[in-house]
Amino acid sequence: MNDPRVEAREKVTGSAKYAAEYAVPGTVYAVMVGSTVAHGKIKSMATEKAAAAEGVLRVITHLQKPTVHGLSTEALQAETRFGLPVFHTDKIHFKGQPIAIVVAQSLEEATYAGTLIQVEYEVLPHEVDFWEARKKVALSPAGKDRGQGAAWTGEAQSVEQEYTIATEVHHPMEMHATIAHWTDDNHLKLYDKNQGVVGVQRSLSRLFNIPAANVEVFSEFVGGGFGSGLRVWSNTLAAAMAAKAVNKPVKLMLTRQQMFSLVGYRPAAWQKIKLSADAQGKLVGVHHQAQNASSSYENFNDGITRVTRLIYAIPHVKTEASIVPLNVSSPTWMRGPGDCTGDFAVESALDELAYTLGLDPVELRYKNFSLDKHPDNGLPWSTNYIKECVEMGAKMIGWDKRPKAVKSLVSGDWYTGYGMAVGAWNAGRGTASAGMVLDGEGKLIVRTAMTDIGTGTGTGMQNMAHTFTGISKDKISIELGHSSLPTAGSQGGSTGLSSISGAVDAVSQALKAAILELAIKKDASWSGVKGADILLDAAGAKASGKSIAYSVLIQQNGGEPIRVEASSSPGEERKKYAFLSSAAHFVRLSVHRLTGKVRIEKYACVADGGSIVNAQAAANQMSGAVVGGIGMTLMEEALVDAKVGGWVGDDLAGYHFAVNADAPIVEIDFVNKPDVNINPSGAKGLGEVGIIGSAAAISNAIYNAIGKRVRDLPITPDKLLK
Amino acid sequence: MKPFQYIKAKSTGEALKSKTALGQFIGGGTNLVDLMKKHIALPDQVIDLKGAVSTAMDKHGDGLRIGAGVSNTAVSINATVLEQYPLIAKAILAGASPQIRNMATVGGNLLQRTRCPYFYDLSTPCNKRAKGTGCGAKDGLQRMSAVIGYTDSCIAVHPSDLCVALVALDAQVGITSKAGKEGKMAFRDFHRLPGDTPHLDNHLPEGSLITHIDVVKNPYAAHCAYVKVRDRASYAFALVSVAAALEIKNGKIVSARLASGGVAHKPWRWFSAEKFLAGKAATEENFEKAAALIQKEIKPLAGNEFKSELLYGAVQTALKQCI
Repeated sequence: MNDPRVEAREKVTGSAKYAAEYAVPGTVYAVMVGSTVAHGKIKSMATEKAAAAEGVLRVITHLQKPTVHGLSTEALQAETRFGLPVFHTDKIHFKGQPIAIVVAQSLEEATYAGTLIQVEYEVLPHEVDFWEARKKVALSPAGKDRGQGAAWTGEAQSVEQEYTIATEVHHPMEMHATIAHWTDDNHLKLYDKNQGVVGVQRSLSRLFNIPAANVEVFSEFVGGGFGSGLRVWSNTLAAAMAAKAVNKPVKLMLTRQQMFSLVGYRPAAWQKIKLSADAQGKLVGVHHQAQNASSSYENFNDGITRVTRLIYAIPHVKTEASIVPLNVSSPTWMRGPGDCTGDFAVESALDELAYTLGLDPVELRYKNFSLDKHPDNGLPWSTNYIKECVEMGAKMIGWDKRPKAVKSLVSGDWYTGYGMAVGAWNAGRGTASAGMVLDGEGKLIVRTAMTDIGTGTGTGMQNMAHTFTGISKDKISIELGHSSLPTAGSQGGSTGLSSISGAVDAVSQALKAAILELAIKKDASWSGVKGADILLDAAGAKASGKSIAYSVLIQQNGGEPIRVEASSSPGEERKKYAFLSSAAHFVRLSVHRLTGKVRIEKYACVADGGSIVNAQAAANQMSGAVVGGIGMTLMEEALVDAKVGGWVGDDLAGYHFAVNADAPIVEIDFVNKPDVNINPSGAKGLGEVGIIGSAAAISNAIYNAIGKRVRDLPITPDKLLK
Repeated sequence: MKPFQYIKAKSTGEALKSKTALGQFIGGGTNLVDLMKKHIALPDQVIDLKGAVSTAMDKHGDGLRIGAGVSNTAVSINATVLEQYPLIAKAILAGASPQIRNMATVGGNLLQRTRCPYFYDLSTPCNKRAKGTGCGAKDGLQRMSAVIGYTDSCIAVHPSDLCVALVALDAQVGITSKAGKEGKMAFRDFHRLPGDTPHLDNHLPEGSLITHIDVVKNPYAAHCAYVKVRDRASYAFALVSVAAALEIKNGKIVSARLASGGVAHKPWRWFSAEKFLAGKAATEENFEKAAALIQKEIKPLAGNEFKSELLYGAVQTALKQCI
């Protein structure tokens, strides 16, 4: 199916409203002021000048604030799990930590007044250099040893190398923003950028000690997330606090600079891999060690070695990891979290091993895929089409034209190379609910609280509702991203469509059951009909040669539209099978001998995402992930200065992500075979596998082009000239 | 943003007269507004030059006069520029984005401030931003820093691409002083080296205004190139850039121009390499030698040693693209 997105017109015409764009009468503006030191304690704060500046309504600090119930004691802080109790502590854990909120009539006034606050700190020594700090942190087991762990024998060849990746920042186009409006003492309305309205609702309900139903969250349009919206951050809390303090609606938008420190990032990581194979290329063992950066106040484990245990049948496996605490803000999940970092190392090492063994990298993978079962837990895969992904991708890129020897395709100063890698992700599914409203004209509304962060969730719901009910797509409208709609989890970890498909199926069945009941009320002969046999068309419901018009059904329903709601969860199938989404990445690129410039000429990516619900939206999501992968591989790097105690060059001139000119038109295809066990749609999530594998595919192609192996991301021009 | 007074000047004279000591002229605002938002520039008065300075591009003698208010985009698509001074268009198109080029003016381009990250970070010292505070970059991150002409007090580079082409082509800067006196300055003398006064970017006298740029007739239209190496394919400042222009007759280089961005506090001319190339055959071997000469002149910092190899490659690439 290639239908346009349900929200296409709103997005193209600009009528789609993002969090900061809602017009709430009487709204005033708040900004957060950050600490200028990385570690220490606030000794004193002079806020008089700021408070006296033009337009300023209030300055909030840990000393002068409306105390938030859930942060008022250490016990409550632990219970509410909000994280760092900003504005309720004098302790500084990172540079940029919010220490004050300035509320003013205009954004400009609030921003300027913020610069007038003077703070005296008791400065403590800080540690922000991951590469130094990591040496002091020991590794611990990450998962059980398989076979003899790292004590294997019988290998003919081994690769043993270290791999590193710099800190990456999500940087969705829409920056995090909140409008908070207390409609009375106990009712809070939030227009908020996030990836799950229910999570925000629960979190704010706990923080302010009011029933969840009293917190209404609107997130109808979300301008990208990539994981940064999976947590409730300080901006949402600060907006709600400020709105309470001034008793007016308050809008708070993070600056691009604050996006580096206040909404998470992909942590810098160090890895070491030893990978061994026998002379035939059968993998014997892998020992994978990983460390990732975290903050000093939270332990964030990126799960880097998880993917090492997922794709290949390796008899002996040892995985170890540790978290390195630093005086920086907490990292969080970023697209392909952990796995795309780990996969870079594993798939690079495999490429090295292929050259050492004199094997084609594709062949080496065919020899070692664990195609029948999950190599760790032994459960049979429900479906695993990773080999098909590789076969299709190899054809698309023209893998047969790849030179076996490095540095052998030369044209002037350009060296051309081919590279490939695979990526995989545990295909998940969560609990989700959906509702349907059918009116007398046969128009259907499908609704859920789940957000659509740009992936096409709404369009997928429309496609599935059409498939499950028969109602034509132009009669199906979608409502989502609002907390009063049927509850659903956050959109993350490639679970959105998988979860919501169960809900749309369940609610379609509920709708048919409701229709049947009404039909029987009108005409008893319907009692022999099975709900599942009912099909809906332009005129009404049909089953077993019978038909009944929508208008009649609505009449039977007391003139009211038919409203149903249903919920759906994963079940027993999770005990019987393991579920896998996967992708193969193939790259052809050229490297300029004199300037180190990398030009990606062709990128083919084939994914197994089960049944493809909407090919256009799915390909769009994959292609976006690949472009993210190009950024991760070639340029994305948040720079840290140990002396300064934080990020340097923290703006979009200093932090580069891929622009259009960095990527070719990414060629996407799908295996498109259903996974009949995972959910009623047969679709598996695609959010992560478009990026997992990209870094190794590109760096492997660079090696093929110029014979230089770069194990340190990002691969900027200087690393290719050395 | 600190509150300020906004004045829309109708003429150069009015603009010059209106300006107070803490006032600033604004052209396209593509740099100044950012600096104001970040509280780095804190003018109490902003004088809009739109309508006050020339937006014309006219023949002047046997060269071209570009009004200070002409947008970068207008220069880059001007027929005379494309025919006689294509190096200028190439340099402009290597910089910024179409949106920014539409707003940015030629006069403003000369006056844009450095993009050194420490200059932008108010929590770090910077002699350029706040005189006498020290240099955050000196023992900090130097990936984007200078490799020549720097001092202990500042290692920042000038960020412009257009200026690299203009210095290569020996343009002239038309200036009107505060008192209304018209004058001109050789482009190569316009920007300063940091010395111990890095807060000063150039020699434009206090209170005066750039009115136009004169580009003199030159023989380089047929053989010129602009190579910009950066961390992504578009919309990034140069790690190093090279403007190269050759006058070639019968396979021999009659004269050469070579300049770079991303290497110094000002757009930098490579005079010795130009001299070396004059009279030589236009061969890859001679290009390599010219690049090696340049490589010998520079003194990379501990944090940007890669620029030596990069510049060596970029100079050769630019020269090769000339032929």
